[in-house]
Amino acid sequence: MATAEQEQTGEFLLDEKTLREIETMKGAGQWSIVWRRIKKDKMGMLGLYIVLFLILMAFASWILLGFDNWLTEQGVLWGNPYNEYSRNNLFIELWLPGMPKDSPIVLFQHPRHHFAELAKLPPSFAHPFGTDGTGHDMLSRVFFGATVSLALGFIGQMTTVIIGTFLGSIAGFYGGVIDEILQRVIEILYSMPGFILMIFIIVLFEDVNIPGGRYAVVVIFFSLIGWGGTALIVRSNFFSLKQQDFVEAERALGASDMRIIFKHILPNSLAPLIIIVTLGIANTIFLFAALAFFGFGDPNAVSWGDDLNKWQNELLYYPWMPMFPALFIFFTVLGFNLLGDALRDALDPRLKD
Amino acid sequence: MSLKGFIIRRTIYIVPVMLGITLMNFTLINVSPGDPVIVRIGLLQCNSPECYNNAYNREAVEMGLLGQDYYTIPWFNRYVDFVNDLLHFNLGKSWYYTQAGEGIPIAQIIKERAVYTVVLNVLSFFFSLLLATAIGVVSATRQNSFWDRSLTVAMLLGYSMPLFWLAKLLMLLSFQLFNFTGVANKEAFKKPLFLNPNFYKYLILPTLALTLGGLVFMARLVRSQLLEILRQDYITTAKAKGLDNRAVIYKHAFRNGLLPIVTIIGNSLPGLLAGSVMIEAVFGWPGLGTVFLEGALFRDYPMMMATNTIFPLLFLVARLLTDITYVFIDPRIKY
Repeated sequence: MATAEQEQTGEFLLDEKTLREIETMKGAGQWSIVWRRIKKDKMGMLGLYIVLFLILMAFASWILLGFDNWLTEQGVLWGNPYNEYSRNNLFIELWLPGMPKDSPIVLFQHPRHHFAELAKLPPSFAHPFGTDGTGHDMLSRVFFGATVSLALGFIGQMTTVIIGTFLGSIAGFYGGVIDEILQRVIEILYSMPGFILMIFIIVLFEDVNIPGGRYAVVVIFFSLIGWGGTALIVRSNFFSLKQQDFVEAERALGASDMRIIFKHILPNSLAPLIIIVTLGIANTIFLFAALAFFGFGDPNAVSWGDDLNKWQNELLYYPWMPMFPALFIFFTVLGFNLLGDALRDALDPRLKD
Repeated sequence: MSLKGFIIRRTIYIVPVMLGITLMNFTLINVSPGDPVIVRIGLLQCNSPECYNNAYNREAVEMGLLGQDYYTIPWFNRYVDFVNDLLHFNLGKSWYYTQAGEGIPIAQIIKERAVYTVVLNVLSFFFSLLLATAIGVVSATRQNSFWDRSLTVAMLLGYSMPLFWLAKLLMLLSFQLFNFTGVANKEAFKKPLFLNPNFYKYLILPTLALTLGGLVFMARLVRSQLLEILRQDYITTAKAKGLDNRAVIYKHAFRNGLLPIVTIIGNSLPGLLAGSVMIEAVFGWPGLGTVFLEGALFRDYPMMMATNTIFPLLFLVARLLTDITYVFIDPRIKY
């Protein structure tokens, strides 16, 4: 392989692009090469920043709301002490030492509390995203909605990928009857548009009472029917990898099937899995938002899709009400798509345009 | 094997898949909890149990449930009955769409509504294919130019935009510009349909939304396929022998790029169908998607079974057509 010194002495004549690629590779493992490639991809970095920002937001809102609920239960926080009906705190506030005790900075309104007199206010300094038809502050709703919206996407996609990887590796490794059955099942599952099949199932099972509410039902059925794509990709990867010499060598050493599958073949097909997860989260979040938009979500949940569903008909006269949740869904899908594309280019440069 | 044998084999292959799909749907309906009659009664206010029972019985009779042995025959026998009816093109009677106390036959509802969905989908599919080809060719032949970059960014933005929200935004834009929301109403569907100018007026926005939805998906595909082909050796050969650019692109590159594009478009039909359901719901377009959504919301089991049989059937037929198209596009393919 040519190095920079050789290039300087003129032993090799390499074009600029190849040299840059060599520079990228120098003294690095696979993952640091991937990271260096992503760092050069401006769109990919933009996607990464969006995704990181959203994840931070989801975690921050989750922790804040969790603490808030816990402290309220402990009786430490009181809403309006002069009003006995208001036993909950209405705002999440920031108080720093040195500030007057009775007027802390109001960060967010509690997502489940609303003030009827504040309904339908356009965006202003006090309410940057405006307020909705019942008097919730839209900024607070969007901030606290991030938890459910992102968590659903992550959990749904991770479960489908785990199920799909497991079934795909078994089918790809053993082949034969198992593989045939798996392929037929996938064929049946994939003949139905996912959105339509999900609506069908949610309607049938909306009365089921399980902890977690309706979204738990949605996620469970999503992971039961959504694993086909992952399984097919993992399966075809296994078909090509199990012919390789290193698997033969491992078998000669007396390794068990499970060891070969999970220790040797699976780590080698990690790259497509990472791409599936990243691009899949975008699709999953989009699917759940679409379901919620058409009224198949949980109307009691605080999530972007459900807010969108609630205020979609106000769009023509109060555009800010549905606009901001929709904007955040858009940014989330965009971020994950950008990051996924960048990861695909970085992990498998052959696919690059 | 002959082409005819191939087509027959592929057509017969649809049967077991359809059996699997209907069996899955039927099982899901039968294991699901909840009573469709209660959903139908909805938020009925009753002071006494008798009032509630009366309402329950009235609804159940109207849905045709008490007359049949719905609750006594084991579900597998009912499945065999269902398949038998399906083979005779008898889809049963709707529980939600009723007329004079009796359900309208589903086959009739679907026959009436299918035309709206077909017009909307065929139009937007045609437009999006046309535009996607144009955009893909422009992007691929002028790679990294200003046009390519801006088109790629626009496609990426469109790709990340939820389709139902794109439709809503179009509605908002049209409302601001022309004071016209595009939500379909009765005057749009007066017969004769194709001579009714209002029909075309209300067709514009749904078609535009669905076109954009399919376009962003296909244009990315056409671009990457063309780029890959333009790097091949035979393109260099074609250029070297002095052909002009137009001939190279349309005669040599584009025809070879068609095959993967046809595959993915054929496989993406479920997505297009789902998109059609979304667009129809947003614009109140009374096609099959709306029928499906309303049937689902009111737990119209026969209607849900019917739509969930028709959608996969459409998809499987489309895939069959895709496979047959291959044979004509690519002479190398053996069947």
